[in-house]
Amino acid sequence: MSIRHGLLALLSGGPRYGYQLRVEFEASTGATWPLNIGQVYTTLSRLDRDGLVTPGGDDEQGRTLYEITEKGREELARWFATPVGQTDRPRDELVIKVALAVAAVDVDVAEVIQAQRMATMRTLQELTRAKRDVADGAAQRLVLDSMIFKAEAEQRWLDHCEAVLRERKA
Amino acid sequence: MSVLEMREVTRTFGDVPALRGVTLAVGRGELVAVMGPSGCGKSTLLNLAGGLDLPTSGSVSVEGADLAGVRDRAALRRGAIGYVFQDLNLIPSLTAAENVMLPRELDGVRAGRAREEAEAVLCEVGVGEAADRFPGELSGGQRQRVAIARALVGERRLLLADEPTGALDTATGDDILRLLRERCDAGAAVLLVTHEPRYAGWADRVVYLRDGRVADATDTPLESAR
Repeated sequence: MSIRHGLLALLSGGPRYGYQLRVEFEASTGATWPLNIGQVYTTLSRLDRDGLVTPGGDDEQGRTLYEITEKGREELARWFATPVGQTDRPRDELVIKVALAVAAVDVDVAEVIQAQRMATMRTLQELTRAKRDVADGAAQRLVLDSMIFKAEAEQRWLDHCEAVLRERKA
Repeated sequence: MSVLEMREVTRTFGDVPALRGVTLAVGRGELVAVMGPSGCGKSTLLNLAGGLDLPTSGSVSVEGADLAGVRDRAALRRGAIGYVFQDLNLIPSLTAAENVMLPRELDGVRAGRAREEAEAVLCEVGVGEAADRFPGELSGGQRQRVAIARALVGERRLLLADEPTGALDTATGDDILRLLRERCDAGAAVLLVTHEPRYAGWADRVVYLRDGRVADATDTPLESAR
């Protein structure tokens, strides 16, 4: 995922100026990806250079409105049609930590697991609270749902680790 | 005052301890979730909280009344405590409204008034239009809403929920938790047993039971049993 495609997706709904793009980007990603306005303008000028957007004139307050080009729409369609690969995602630090805790001597793995479980549970509570506060905005809700599913998967995996380790001990 | 207060509760079956000194309180407006591996004592805890069983030692109070000292526990159970279980569901030959009226009629409330109460609480939980339909004509989510209405009718302030999201899909399950949460915010106390972290996430406090003890909790108001 890049900011490029994020901005193209927003521009596919009509011309927008830089600040507006930043606000909408943050709103639709549930504020999980804060952008600074500099990043937005740098990205817009690169998109312009590559012919994917075009500055379409100023609004009444003198702000430059950007428009997506036909080439931009093609690029966006290509991006949406390409599934995300496993290798595009960073390594999971928790998995590595638990694996190393098992491999190391003198580490109480059960304690590592329990501490993580409580931390992840708190995260789940916070995410759920944030979700309750989303009045409307399906995009934002779905971003939070995604994070909830991930936290849930992490909890299940921790339960699984505990069960497997207990079995090995017995 | 807590709506539910459990102090140093133990419960032993034969010589097998199911709970070993659990202290737990649920106040008005509070949603507490209990999690833990199977066999950790979750069901025993819920049965004790609802007065379906009595502790071997320690005490369980509902709205200040120690359950061990209550002469008519059945009346207290009906009047003060609502239950929402995964399977213990609605009576298929009664309409939604009749299902909700039943516990009130057992308490001697006249049918007309029980009917009015049932319609009001069904509307509150968002299934007012289902009042005259039979459980078999409702979706899983609607049925569970009716079960929650039945648990709430008559101003019961303690709600015990055992895996209330059962076989529902996650979006419908979330709706049920949202509803329980709203009832909490309206002043009810809810004790929820679940093995699903996503639903525990709706709670103010999440308590982990392990081997009959409180192993951990996500918040401070809880007094640990250790």
